[in-house]
Amino acid sequence: MLSKQANQFLIELKMYLISKGKNDQEIHGVINELSDHLLQAEAAGKNIEDIVGDSPRAYMKSIGQEMGFDIRQFLILTPMTALLLMAYICFAPAILGEFSLSKLGVLGAIAGAVLSIILYGFLLVRVLPKMFYSKWFYIVIGLTYMLLIGFFVFVNLFDKEPFFIATPLQSNIVLLGCILVFITWAIYSKTWISIIIPIFISFGPIAGRFIPEHINEDPFYITLAIIFGILGLVILFYFLFKNEKEKSIS
Amino acid sequence: MSTTSQMLKGLLEGSLLALIAKGETYGYEIIEKLKEHHFAVVSEGSIYPVLMRLQKNNFVTSVQRKSPSGPKRKYYSITKEGEEELERFKQHWNKVSSGVSSLLEEEE
Repeated sequence: MLSKQANQFLIELKMYLISKGKNDQEIHGVINELSDHLLQAEAAGKNIEDIVGDSPRAYMKSIGQEMGFDIRQFLILTPMTALLLMAYICFAPAILGEFSLSKLGVLGAIAGAVLSIILYGFLLVRVLPKMFYSKWFYIVIGLTYMLLIGFFVFVNLFDKEPFFIATPLQSNIVLLGCILVFITWAIYSKTWISIIIPIFISFGPIAGRFIPEHINEDPFYITLAIIFGILGLVILFYFLFKNEKEKSIS
Repeated sequence: MSTTSQMLKGLLEGSLLALIAKGETYGYEIIEKLKEHHFAVVSEGSIYPVLMRLQKNNFVTSVQRKSPSGPKRKYYSITKEGEEELERFKQHWNKVSSGVSSLLEEEE
């Protein structure tokens, strides 16, 4: 099994190469090759410094220099990221059948998208990798989450004049669109994460839309839902963890 | 960077080519073989950018095969162009090393 430092280095390298627009397959190839090397080196009692030298960043650069810039992949990845962000934002209102567009909401989303693209390169290469495995990582995730929720609360409080309110049919079409984006992403990135997150987001809205009012407010059913929710989470994390373990053993 | 590591860096490409020419091999094994020859690399990972360059220039090819320990491993072998490049490297090296040696001997 690889050490924490070795895993950390591989994550940093991967993010660095992705942010530099390198070819996905080439990245995968070099990461595989290096993890195979690190695995053997660490088993022989060597340190990560013996492999990457004194400056991991200089080493990453030397690898990046040997790889070409994959313009096609860059052109696919950027709009797909924007679509995914939009799908996350539209998902919950679409399930509720309350999809609407308001000026503030749209402007906020556009500003958020532009800002995230600017921050994207910086965060991906400079900030995020250093935070993996540290408590700062969770603090930043938590803060981002709170900011997002704050934004939605703000929009809900002050933005009462949507210029477009979807009919139930239109809401369902938006919903279908979101689900398509999530599935496309999952297939493309070969991870479940873009499907797992929407499932979590959808619990509340689905309950709101499809469960009759009197059941929704019955304490018995609320308790039941909490218990099943926690059980579901435990099972999910068990499988995720097991998967991870198997991956790092193989 | 010390003088030694500067020098070695320039020689790594030809040396890796020479090693791969002796038979199909992979990253970690290359490092072990280099050590057997007392070839001091700057850091073990420094061979990978060089291997990538060799492959880009068509001097070596690679195949993925399952390793005994499980994950897929990239095995390198030399190409026709690689053999020609190795020949050039040998000639250059002989010229340079004999020149430097004779110079240094003269000084003593």
